[in-house]
Amino acid sequence: MLVRDYMTPHPIMVGPEMRVTEAQKLMTENNIRHLPVVGDGKRLLGLVTRQRLAIPPEKLASLDVWEITRFLAELTVQRVMVTGPDLHTITPDKTLEEAADMLIRYKISGLPVVEDGMVVCGIITETDLLIEFQNLLGANDAGWRVVMRVPNKVGQYRKLVRAISENNWGLMALGGVRSPRHPDKWDVVLKVRHCTKEQLIAVLQAIEEQELVDIRETGGALPDSNVASRQR
Amino acid sequence: MIRAIGKMDQPVVRVKDLAVAYETRYGDVLAVRNVSFEIHRGETLGIVGESGCGKTTVAYALVNYLGRNGKIVKGDIFFQGQSLVGRTPEELRRLRGDQISMVYQDPMTSLNPVLRIGEQMTEVLTVHRGMAEEEARQRCIEMLQRVYMPDPAKVLERFPHQLSGGQQQRIIIAMAMLNNPALLIMDEPTTALDVTVEAAVLDLVADLRRDFDTAILFISHNLGVIARVSDRVAVMYAGEIVEMAATARIFARPQHPYTQGLIRCLPKLGRSKTSSILYPIRGRVPPPSNLPPGCVFEPRCDYARDACRQQRPPLRELPGSHFTRCLFSEEIDPAQWKPDSEPVLLQPTAATQNNSQPILEVDRLQTYYRHPNTSLLSFIGLGRRDYVKAVDGVSFQLPKGCTLGIVGESGCGKSTLVKTIIGLEEATGGKAQFMGFDISRRVNKRDLDIIKELQMVFQNPDSTLNPVYTVGQQIERPLRRFRIVPPDRVHEEVVRLLRAVKLDEHYYNRLPRQLSGGEKQRVGIARAFAGRPDLVLADEPVSALDVSVQAAVLNLLLEIQREHGTTMIFISHDLSVVRFMADYVAVMYLGQIVEIGPAEAIYQPPYHPYTESLLAAVPIPDPEVEQEHIRLEGSVPSPLNPPSGCRFHTRCPRRNWLPDGGRICETETPPWQQVSAEHRILCHIPLEKLRQMEPVVHPTLSKGH
Repeated sequence: MLVRDYMTPHPIMVGPEMRVTEAQKLMTENNIRHLPVVGDGKRLLGLVTRQRLAIPPEKLASLDVWEITRFLAELTVQRVMVTGPDLHTITPDKTLEEAADMLIRYKISGLPVVEDGMVVCGIITETDLLIEFQNLLGANDAGWRVVMRVPNKVGQYRKLVRAISENNWGLMALGGVRSPRHPDKWDVVLKVRHCTKEQLIAVLQAIEEQELVDIRETGGALPDSNVASRQR
Repeated sequence: MIRAIGKMDQPVVRVKDLAVAYETRYGDVLAVRNVSFEIHRGETLGIVGESGCGKTTVAYALVNYLGRNGKIVKGDIFFQGQSLVGRTPEELRRLRGDQISMVYQDPMTSLNPVLRIGEQMTEVLTVHRGMAEEEARQRCIEMLQRVYMPDPAKVLERFPHQLSGGQQQRIIIAMAMLNNPALLIMDEPTTALDVTVEAAVLDLVADLRRDFDTAILFISHNLGVIARVSDRVAVMYAGEIVEMAATARIFARPQHPYTQGLIRCLPKLGRSKTSSILYPIRGRVPPPSNLPPGCVFEPRCDYARDACRQQRPPLRELPGSHFTRCLFSEEIDPAQWKPDSEPVLLQPTAATQNNSQPILEVDRLQTYYRHPNTSLLSFIGLGRRDYVKAVDGVSFQLPKGCTLGIVGESGCGKSTLVKTIIGLEEATGGKAQFMGFDISRRVNKRDLDIIKELQMVFQNPDSTLNPVYTVGQQIERPLRRFRIVPPDRVHEEVVRLLRAVKLDEHYYNRLPRQLSGGEKQRVGIARAFAGRPDLVLADEPVSALDVSVQAAVLNLLLEIQREHGTTMIFISHDLSVVRFMADYVAVMYLGQIVEIGPAEAIYQPPYHPYTESLLAAVPIPDPEVEQEHIRLEGSVPSPLNPPSGCRFHTRCPRRNWLPDGGRICETETPPWQQVSAEHRILCHIPLEKLRQMEPVVHPTLSKGH
């Protein structure tokens, strides 16, 4: 799970001389929130974000209507883009966790992906991470989503996986986190298919030391029409 | 892996209602009209069509190489969300920047002949990315490995002329990918390559697209190539997109009469002249300055109605994202299609009945070329003499009235063999007898009678017709020279010949430049048949022609051949065409025949391993046909110094079938193994083993149109 495989490759990029109004239009039309500004050879100069395009209220108050038009017409992206120490980037060989760590640490929503120094080869945003979070838990495939609470001991996963595979059921996703309110336990999320709810409950409850916390049917045709599927 | 994405995926390129015109003396000529398409990340759109239909103009419009007289008159091109139309060259340069790369047809013209490969490749990185020389070099080596170039570090030291065509094209593709472009435009990238190399390059394109998520616009006239690489196909005709759909769909259910016609006029790998017939599309592509008022395809369409003549049909969407520019697509069923006149299937009797007496006997024929040796010793006449063994010990017999097809990669000696038979080259050894007469001497030492009986049809009709003589004069010449008819009846005979090749007498006074490629080739055929020869040698007669014309010319050759009972040697790199035309097929490799036999036997196991690889490489215009994946490594070794033992052992994929990894292939010349009376294979591998080979092309071939 490296940035290389989950970023958006070949992002839309602009040159530093572009008018801010044009950049704004481009971002709206293409439904994007980050616009890398590049010079020759796709070398990163800065990043335009939606927040950067908003005129600060105190400045707005000091301009009259005519001045705003002129002010905007002459403004180029290089004057509003994020540069210098505020411009954070990542390389394609980093892990998704490292990308997430940077987004959290700097409270930003996306990172240009650069190689060979500063050549832009992609962009990775919160959305990409959320999509992979969804996929990691098998959210888009139909099946039973199960949460098991297990003690913090070696061999718990093995018991769980063996119980499911002995029945020839499909295990589509498996993830574990330290249980939020029970620091000595772990919550394991699984996605199982090719079985009925009753069969699954019976098998899971028979596992020693473990507790079935939640079971529900998820996935399949998601109601959200905005979710498109594509082949990779 | 199916992956859900929550964000809108914008296309890399979106072309909207594009029209491109060229300024000429007679006003603007619209070369491309109403063209719209989009390409997403990691998708390949194939554009297919005959020459002159505007494929390349679309590609040039995307990169603004339209030339001084070309201009975009209407529509818009969006690249990465931004319009490319109406911008200054400097703005365009910045917009496209390093994001669009292009690969052209002829690799040699894209490489600088005086710079080493390494200098040309590293320049991309040092200039665009400001990379240090050593690092750039390392990156180039990695990229060359990605395009499966053997020994990349050495290749960087070479000059372009020291590489083969396939290697050059790989270099070009590697260079195009160095900058990681968002869009790669490939204009006939494999047309100049051999079928085996082509197959490897197409595999490479598919791999690169997957790994780099590049959007690819792939232009080709070859439906088989398009079927192999594209996700979606757009068929262009006379400057318009007439049909666009997913690849599997367009080949399984073509909706536009033009697409249906194109598919009908292709020879299929499993079909021969005795079992099927090619249906050319009548007429020709209208010039862009003189388009019909209604549907552009209407004059050639079998389903044209009044409505088609009155208005230009819009590109409309059928279910399944299938676009067609035909008003009656739903009503037209290609399975119900009937040709105008019922075709006469050729009877196999013509080929087999008089095979008692061979008309042509070739026995261990050799044609060597002296290779200039540059050493000082040879300057004073003491150096070792080097020979290029272009044809080395070829033997075969050809019965009267039959067609022998010769296939093989370029440089295997096909053309030299034919030139030796006709006398343009002198044989250096062996014997060739034509109707009992010795023909191993040059043409200027032969009797006029023998010259008359052997005629040739050349590959490129442009260069074989004299541009200052009229068509009539050129066909007259052999008639007068060989005194075929009395002088007062020459004109009459020329008209008869013109009619025989489906041209009327108006063509008598035309000059070659007033003819289309197909018409020129017909004149070439008329001239070859003027002397009523007994043997016609056709060297790639249809490879310079469009598919719809190719079908007509092949039919014509067959018809004339049948009428005169002419024997023919037919060279082609296209194995489907050879399968269609030939009664016997000879597969050549490095100056030798490695397999020869009746056509149907060659295309079925047992194969020679080389034949098997050739068949596996043929691009088949049907995405449903499954082909074995066999790819030959490297290129044909130099005939100056052919490999010892079996000449194919350096590339043979089946060597390991023999004990000891095929040690014997390196040391001993393989024996001829007789499969049947007429079918023999030159290989060490025992026949029983060869017989166990899987057929290369899995037979969904019986299904046809």
